[in-house]
Amino acid sequence: MKLLNSSTVSRNSRLKLGAIIVALAVLIILPLCIESDYIKHLLIMVCIGTILGMTFSMLYSAGLITLGAAAFYAVGAYTSTMLVTSLGLSFWAALPLTIIISAVLSLGFGAIFVRNAGVAFVIITLIFVQVIVIAAGQIEFLGGWGGIMNIPRPDSLGPVEFVSKRDCYYLILAILLLIVVIYNAIYSSRIGRAWRAIKLSPNLAGTLGINAYRYRLLAFVIGSTTAALAGCFYAHYFQNITPGAFAGWLSIYVQLYAVLGGLEFYILGPAIGSVIMTFVPEYLRVVKEIEPIITGLLLLIIILFFPGGILGTIKNPPDFNLTQLKSRLNRMRISKAQGDKS
Amino acid sequence: MSPGLFIQLIVNALTIGSIYILMVLGLDIILRGTKILNFAHGQLYMLGAYVLLLFFQTLNLNFALALILSGATLALVGALSYLGVFAVLSRRFTVSTTFSYRLLLSAMASVGLMMILQQGTLLCFGTQERGILSPFPQIIDVFGVRISLTRVVIIFLSILICIGLFFLMYKTRFGKIMRAVSYDPEAVTLQGINTFWIFVSCFALGSALAGLAGGIIAPLFSVTPSMGQNIIFMSFLVLLVGGIGSYRGTIAGGLLVGLLLSFGFQFLGGIAELFVFILVIVILVFRPGGLLGEATE
Repeated sequence: MKLLNSSTVSRNSRLKLGAIIVALAVLIILPLCIESDYIKHLLIMVCIGTILGMTFSMLYSAGLITLGAAAFYAVGAYTSTMLVTSLGLSFWAALPLTIIISAVLSLGFGAIFVRNAGVAFVIITLIFVQVIVIAAGQIEFLGGWGGIMNIPRPDSLGPVEFVSKRDCYYLILAILLLIVVIYNAIYSSRIGRAWRAIKLSPNLAGTLGINAYRYRLLAFVIGSTTAALAGCFYAHYFQNITPGAFAGWLSIYVQLYAVLGGLEFYILGPAIGSVIMTFVPEYLRVVKEIEPIITGLLLLIIILFFPGGILGTIKNPPDFNLTQLKSRLNRMRISKAQGDKS
Repeated sequence: MSPGLFIQLIVNALTIGSIYILMVLGLDIILRGTKILNFAHGQLYMLGAYVLLLFFQTLNLNFALALILSGATLALVGALSYLGVFAVLSRRFTVSTTFSYRLLLSAMASVGLMMILQQGTLLCFGTQERGILSPFPQIIDVFGVRISLTRVVIIFLSILICIGLFFLMYKTRFGKIMRAVSYDPEAVTLQGINTFWIFVSCFALGSALAGLAGGIIAPLFSVTPSMGQNIIFMSFLVLLVGGIGSYRGTIAGGLLVGLLLSFGFQFLGGIAELFVFILVIVILVFRPGGLLGEATE
């Protein structure tokens, strides 16, 4: 203990621990300080966005780029809704069942999808979202394009009734923190290291005895199941689901969270991206007409000039190559002087 | 099913299929040449339709001339967006950059481009639908089956463009360089060829194909700002069915999806799309790389 105390590693980890405690305290106290229900709603959406962004980051850590985060989000929402409204289960029974069902489904679909890494995987996942949306819209049993209304809120748990936005916020915060702890454990385990190796080079990882297909499938299943969990909460929080809510560019926004926050920060990156992408467009509503243009430009500027995302830029501030510029100017001056001489 | 309906459905299938083929050939050229998954392709298609509207309806030019001009304008738009966005981005990549990082960043950049183009067009032209009076309003009678001449012209023009493209890719030096770049850009550079301008022209050629597709379809369907978002999913689907990096596969996939959609909508209604998707997943089970492509790592 003494030895550790004197090392800088321990100081860093103590700083980290302090930061985590402060962040936790802020997250827990935050809804008590805010009056407006609308802001609380946004905070809940930030939590959901963070979970979805983290699933994207998990697949990215294994070298897979998914545009299908919304697919299993929708699967989770619909499964849980059907379990509660048709079979009359309570939310707390439907939750683990949803997780099991979506894990099985994602294993089945993932076994087909993951065979293609690279570009084909991106396209397959993008199309898969459309399949889910059209299936939900066309099948009468699932409510059609009108969706399903009046989904009950989570049943009360002892004295806590999930009626107010505040209680829902605490529920999603608990889910989020649980996922963060699990993901953190996975990333620092053998599995996380295998993923990183596969991302660097699948062939090299293969020579080291890592089965890239199986590890990628594992990432797909974990990520999809997490997204389904978020969808399950969303359905019962929002109380109505329509196929349109999962369609189109939701998955691309999820990807944006991860890129904006910092791709190499698998947990904190999506969180920061989600906060910014939820709150900034809200305040751009004033200029609603050009809001997508501003968002698009923002995205381009970040990708072109700060590819590390916000956290990456803070960690390694971009070097605007002043020294290189100076030496180039010097060289020009020298060559000009030589030209004058001759 | 009467033979008349059958022929009409076949013509419809060929019309949709040929538009998909043009779109996907463009996507594929961009993807193989520059390694960019271009999400803005649907918006380029939409811009092609609007440019045709501008030249044909507002300036009263000849249809063929307007079509060529819309292709040329879109080539310019494509070249400019490559120079402005993707060229800046690709300077950041080195040999050690992982493939997934490169793919992700260029795809995200194209998403940014997509948002700007989409909303920009919406602001310029408004949300209302616009129709172009077809330059070929006649209806021809083939063995007692009434077929609109517009559809026949669309199919004919698409075939013409495809033949032109294949001539360019397989019979000229320029096409040979483009095909070489899609295999190994470094090796092409070592041959003393400036690959930068090949990348630019790959992107411009792909964009021009999207613009031509939009221009060709404009007389048949109404021109709306949302037309780009609708077609991009189907184009990606066709790309996947046919196999990435195979022109023959793209044509087979386009025709297959066109046929399935045309007959499916007639007999099954809106659920047809779902069946097409399921069929694609089945195809991918047996042929992970698409009909005529190969699975990539």
